[in-house]
Amino acid sequence: CGDALLIDPSDQYSANTFWTEPEHFEAGLTGSYNSLYSLYNVFSGETDMITPNAKAYNEANGTDGIAKGSALATTGLFSNLWNNAYEGIGRCNTVLDQLENSPLSAEETGLIEGQALFLRSLLYHYLIDHFGAVPLVLETPDPALHGDLPRSDKEEIISQLLVDLDRAVVLLPDRYTGDDVGKATSGAALALKSRILLFEKRWDEAAAVAKEVIDLNVYELFDDYRGIWYLENENNEEVIFDIQYQVPFFTHGFDHTSKLLNRPAPLKDLVDAYLMVDGKSTKTSDLFDADHPYENRDPRLHQSIAIAGYPYNGRLTTPDDVVTTGFGNKKQTVYKDDVAIANVVANNSELNIILIRYAEVLLNYAEALNEAEGPVDEVYWAINEIRKRPSVAMPVLEARMGQDQMRETIRLERRIELALEGRYYSDIRRWKTAEIVNNGPIFNAADEVIEQRTFNAGRDYLWAVPPNQIDLNPNLEQNPNW
Amino acid sequence: QTLSLAVKNRPLSDVFQQIKDQTDFVVVYNERFVNPDTRVSISVEHAPLTKLLETLLRPLSLGYHITEHTIVITALPEEQKSTRLAEQEAASQRTVTGRVTDEMGNPLDGVTVAVKDVGLATTTDVQGNYRISVSGDGAVLVFTIIGFESHEQTLGTKNVVNVVLKASISDLDEVVVVGYGTQKKINLTGSVSTMSSEDIENRPITNATQALQGMTGLYVNQAGGQPGKDGAVLRIRGQGTFNNNNPLVLVDGVEFPLADVNPNDIESITVLKDAASASIYGNRAANGVILVTTKSGVAGDTRINYNNYIGLQAPTYLPKTVKDPVRFMELRNQAGFNAGRAQAFYSEEVIEEYRKGTDPYIYPHNDWIDIMFNDALIQEHNLRISGGSDKLGFSVSAGYLDQKGVLMGTDGGRFAVRSGLNYQYKNWLKLETDLSFNQRTSHEPATTAGTMMEMVFKAQGFHPTYLEDGRYADTWIRSPGHNVYRHPLVWANEGFFNTKRLNGMLNFSAEVTLPFGITYLAKVGFSKLSTFEERFVPDIYMYQVKTLAEQRVDYYTPNKNRHVYNNHAEGLNTTLYNTLNYEATFADSHHIKALLGSSFEQFEDRFFNSLIEGFLGNTLTEINAGSVNPQVNGTSNKNALIGTFGRLNYDYSDKYLFEVNFRYDGSSRFAEGNQWGFFPSVSLGWRLDQENFLKTQRWISALKIRGSYGVLGNQGIPNFSYVNLVEAGREYLFGGAVSPGVAVESFRDPNITWETTTMANLGVDASFFESRLDLTLDLYNKRTDDILRPVTLPSQVGNLGGPIRNIGSVKNVGLDVNLVHRNTIGKLNYAVNLGLNYNVNKVTDLNGEIIYSGDKFITREGYPIDSYYVLESAGLFQTTEEIESSPFQNITTKPGYIRYLDQNQDNVINSNDRIVTGSVLPDYTYSFGLDLNYGQFSLGAFFQGVKGVNTYPEAIIATPFWFATSVTERWANESWTPERPDAPLPILTSFEDSQNDNFLKSDFWVLDASYLRLKNIQLGYTLPQRFSDKIGLNRCLFFVNGQNLLTFSDMKDFDPERNVKQANYYEYPSIKMYTVGINVTF
Repeated sequence: CGDALLIDPSDQYSANTFWTEPEHFEAGLTGSYNSLYSLYNVFSGETDMITPNAKAYNEANGTDGIAKGSALATTGLFSNLWNNAYEGIGRCNTVLDQLENSPLSAEETGLIEGQALFLRSLLYHYLIDHFGAVPLVLETPDPALHGDLPRSDKEEIISQLLVDLDRAVVLLPDRYTGDDVGKATSGAALALKSRILLFEKRWDEAAAVAKEVIDLNVYELFDDYRGIWYLENENNEEVIFDIQYQVPFFTHGFDHTSKLLNRPAPLKDLVDAYLMVDGKSTKTSDLFDADHPYENRDPRLHQSIAIAGYPYNGRLTTPDDVVTTGFGNKKQTVYKDDVAIANVVANNSELNIILIRYAEVLLNYAEALNEAEGPVDEVYWAINEIRKRPSVAMPVLEARMGQDQMRETIRLERRIELALEGRYYSDIRRWKTAEIVNNGPIFNAADEVIEQRTFNAGRDYLWAVPPNQIDLNPNLEQNPNW
Repeated sequence: QTLSLAVKNRPLSDVFQQIKDQTDFVVVYNERFVNPDTRVSISVEHAPLTKLLETLLRPLSLGYHITEHTIVITALPEEQKSTRLAEQEAASQRTVTGRVTDEMGNPLDGVTVAVKDVGLATTTDVQGNYRISVSGDGAVLVFTIIGFESHEQTLGTKNVVNVVLKASISDLDEVVVVGYGTQKKINLTGSVSTMSSEDIENRPITNATQALQGMTGLYVNQAGGQPGKDGAVLRIRGQGTFNNNNPLVLVDGVEFPLADVNPNDIESITVLKDAASASIYGNRAANGVILVTTKSGVAGDTRINYNNYIGLQAPTYLPKTVKDPVRFMELRNQAGFNAGRAQAFYSEEVIEEYRKGTDPYIYPHNDWIDIMFNDALIQEHNLRISGGSDKLGFSVSAGYLDQKGVLMGTDGGRFAVRSGLNYQYKNWLKLETDLSFNQRTSHEPATTAGTMMEMVFKAQGFHPTYLEDGRYADTWIRSPGHNVYRHPLVWANEGFFNTKRLNGMLNFSAEVTLPFGITYLAKVGFSKLSTFEERFVPDIYMYQVKTLAEQRVDYYTPNKNRHVYNNHAEGLNTTLYNTLNYEATFADSHHIKALLGSSFEQFEDRFFNSLIEGFLGNTLTEINAGSVNPQVNGTSNKNALIGTFGRLNYDYSDKYLFEVNFRYDGSSRFAEGNQWGFFPSVSLGWRLDQENFLKTQRWISALKIRGSYGVLGNQGIPNFSYVNLVEAGREYLFGGAVSPGVAVESFRDPNITWETTTMANLGVDASFFESRLDLTLDLYNKRTDDILRPVTLPSQVGNLGGPIRNIGSVKNVGLDVNLVHRNTIGKLNYAVNLGLNYNVNKVTDLNGEIIYSGDKFITREGYPIDSYYVLESAGLFQTTEEIESSPFQNITTKPGYIRYLDQNQDNVINSNDRIVTGSVLPDYTYSFGLDLNYGQFSLGAFFQGVKGVNTYPEAIIATPFWFATSVTERWANESWTPERPDAPLPILTSFEDSQNDNFLKSDFWVLDASYLRLKNIQLGYTLPQRFSDKIGLNRCLFFVNGQNLLTFSDMKDFDPERNVKQANYYEYPSIKMYTVGINVTF
């Protein structure tokens, strides 16, 4: 009668008997993509609130503490990235290991392998960008093998990512159609590679790889800057890699937090950074009118930021709408300026979160090339491409600049073009400007000081490894001064 | 010579003395025939001596003769006696009838009714009625039956004598329910606590788990009083494991949730605490076993009992928050400035406008705690009909509970029916069947009561209720950090979350009496638990008080559009067991009982749920009225247990007691090869009171020493924890379509097996001064090894959930004491009792590992499970100089902030400076009670206390302005300012601004959650029998009852009887109740 005690689970697969059918491998890869959802906080632009671009409306995730320099090693955002990136890495590793027994054709197997390699590289990139070197795990997770691994050598990780991305480029197509839209392409692998090289200051290579993306002729800038993030324009020609959302199963809350909670709340510093339509700064342009400070500005200002007295969601924004700083975020929300729709219910947003778009590749290209070769024509070309976007139509760069001046121009262009998309926090850290720009008072629309920011150059360029991870694996070394 | 005499109920010797006084005659007698203490009544005036002696002595069957000045009392010769009796019967015979009942009004069958000092006796019938012939007014009737105090009643002239017998104080013959059988309490060698229905009678017990409060060795913590969801947490002898610590609950032998039993159906509860008594339940017994026996039919008159109560409930504690909107805004601004903010949250203009504002719709001053919490009605009715003949017994009951909630938008109820039948066929077959059906309902807001609580605490005085036209109003005040107003009245009154639990149990058993003292019992039980939940989140709009701008009210959790969600979960438990019993006595003094049995249990669970959006309005709330975004989910699950068990009892002359138990148990929760375990126990007892050297010590009524040792198991982990699984449902979206995805999410250990608890128990049961003082004392040492606990893996291992593994040992050493004193002084009966459990919990071995859980708990060798692991505080900083000369804390540290101690002396305060302190496990739990009976009145009171337990509340109420919400009066008035340097609280800041300073996890916020509480007090009045007889009632009791009326505790803003590990104050409030009721028996 002991047979009555032999019961098998009926709603989960036993790991020993899984990985036989072709669908199992597809599903394993899909499960790897699935872990991208849990990194929403890192991907959605949360980190812009740790920069002079924006402020958090409340203390969820601990961004405000990071910005003020009072954060603890236990800050939620740190462990969120650490844990969830390794979750995705583990899933990719499992699939990659299982592919050895794949019953699929070589081509199909290669497609899965290429995507898994891309996803794994993407996640490692986010890890090393924030934590520096981390333990490099490339096999199916096993506590005995990986539980006590110390941090790997950063060079080793970078070369692994470059090798993996090269292989992904070979294995993956440059575009998908139909049911495959949303999967990683060879262009995505190249674009990520250019970003990694740029972050590593390997300028020549970064420029060359960015050029490869440009030369694919797959991507182009979307005419309508604001419209990049309209629901009807999802997966447009500018998007290189994004996270796909759709109600009711895959949703996030960015519309709700942006519009109703005023989170993120852009800061005066960002608003002031937008140039005048003549291409000059507010300080130097004759067009600037202190009584109407938001007139005649780079069109991207009103396409990115809600300002009292200007239309958003079919009516004029009121100070009550933007109570935190006097500014609100429009990017990555579904609301249009001229049409009123009901407020999206909390956690019911389905707009894809774009992680890599073509404009960034152009900016990577410009920056890397300027660093490698100085302000050569191609640098101007790349920046002007962005400025010439029909809905932006800012004056092209004409004056001959020195390398330093060009560097500043590129950095400003990058800040404006990619504002509130989660890129700026990485930029000010790799430019080592965070200790300047994020160290001092921040201001609201009325130019009142809101609070003081502090950036500890000896510590804050990297996040703390979550202390509980060090408790669990004492071989992990904490970052300096945490 | 004549005499006059008038005595009433005096000893015979008194009468003889009076005769002597009046006549100078000496009275002599032989005590062999004459009992001088016999009480007599006689009244004569100027009667001759001979006449008096005739009248006095004849009823006593005595004769006399007179010589000289001596009266010699003699026994009558037999023939004379009978003629006298005949004469007597002829002369003054009358028939006395009556009814004998127990204190509950139950008829007592087989009571011996004797005429004192006359050889006449009869017994009561099954209805408790008797009929007896007596003569003379002075006759005394004596009522005796085992288990009750004997009672003497002088007849007087009454011909109907109804008597109520009091249960014997001595519990020598008390029988208690033990695993798969019963045992005389006096012969128990294990450690058990028992409780009977009388202990909880008339108390407003809304959930049967509350009934166990006060049982020795049991920690009953009832956190919150939400109608329909107010079950208590039960712990027996500390916490032994990291997984399931709940005791096994068996109702009539079948595993069943105690919360789903109608408290009124409970006849008795036995708690098996030590290994000897529990090991017969093998791999589920480690946390102790609770055996619940329900009421069944007894032969006798049909009895109808009806009882009810009705009353009011009110929250025990509610936090005192700053209500005035202007003061709130000013305080929050001040808090921001205190923390170094440059900008006010609320501008001076807004505050000024509010201050001057007169329109109550735009400038409300709402007290949301007052609006949302209200006294609430409760009523319960129970009806039971029971009775039977000598072959057939039945008991049918129905109960109804209706409980409104003290929090708006919550209520609950219960409807229960139960029927039990037992039938004796010939003298060899006994059949028994029980059928019960219990429906519990609860209604709460769509966001659930916990979130509702959170929102009530979030709403401020300036948040409006309604517009003048009755529409819901939205605030015009924007509060950074809390910009979205989630209207509490909308949450409470629009939409719903309803839970309906329908639980049925069917038991059937047959007991066959076989030759040679063997009986065979087979039992089959099915219990079906079905839970149905439905949630409706409507679209409700509110309108800004100034602009009338429309805004949909956000429901927060779930963060979804208007939708309906249904969830149907059900469980089917099947229990089969059979036992062989053997009982025999050899050579008068060797008494043997043996039991052998086997059992099979299977637990099947499944759920199915669905959700749909796209409703056309807020009126229809069924799934099929929705149209878009349908979602479904569901699964099923099964596990099984098989066991063989046995017990042998042996006693020699009721003096030396010996018992062994075993169970060989298999569980499907482990892999093949690791499923089976053996759980033996042995216990010994010595009844010293039966020894000759103590028999003569009359002050000792009973004395027993007992000891036990045994092994118990625990398999309370999730199913399939032994096999690595690939989880489905990890989808992603490609090309706008959902693509199925899977992932491995945890790492499993295939070698796990049950954990083992070894327990030694040493106990004394003593009773002194004719049972006026009872003492039970137990010392135990409980060690749990191979504890099944989840191991946390470093996230770098794929962020996998760690395996459950057999690791480590925990020790619980403790003491249970129970002391009872009872006495009768005149018409006053009283009993006081005291129960105490002292327990020391200590992790003895973790293979050198340390377990961190949450952000403030640690489990490490040498400390109790889940101790707090936090910074140590040392008061508040007073000056900047002090901060500068202290170890670095944070760049934001300011005067008035908490100062922490630098434990590792590295001049920096960080997580390396944490210390282990405080515990979530109480050191002591204790209770004491008082029962008084005086004539028709009774008074009962029951106190419960907990000592040495900590809690750590966070979020709203605990911290000021948590996410822009409430601040308590305590924070407003007792926080640090330069003028108030000795304040008990740090300077007022919001949680957000100083979470990395003042609200670091530290012992500053570890609160002492000890309390002493008057759980229950009850005053009753029983209608005198002569009145109740007149209206045809056997018994009629009126009572008033108070629950949780008094609490002594250091906790200020919330009830200390809480789930101490809950990190916030969103638990439904505990309630106090005032009820009145009646309990009548026909």
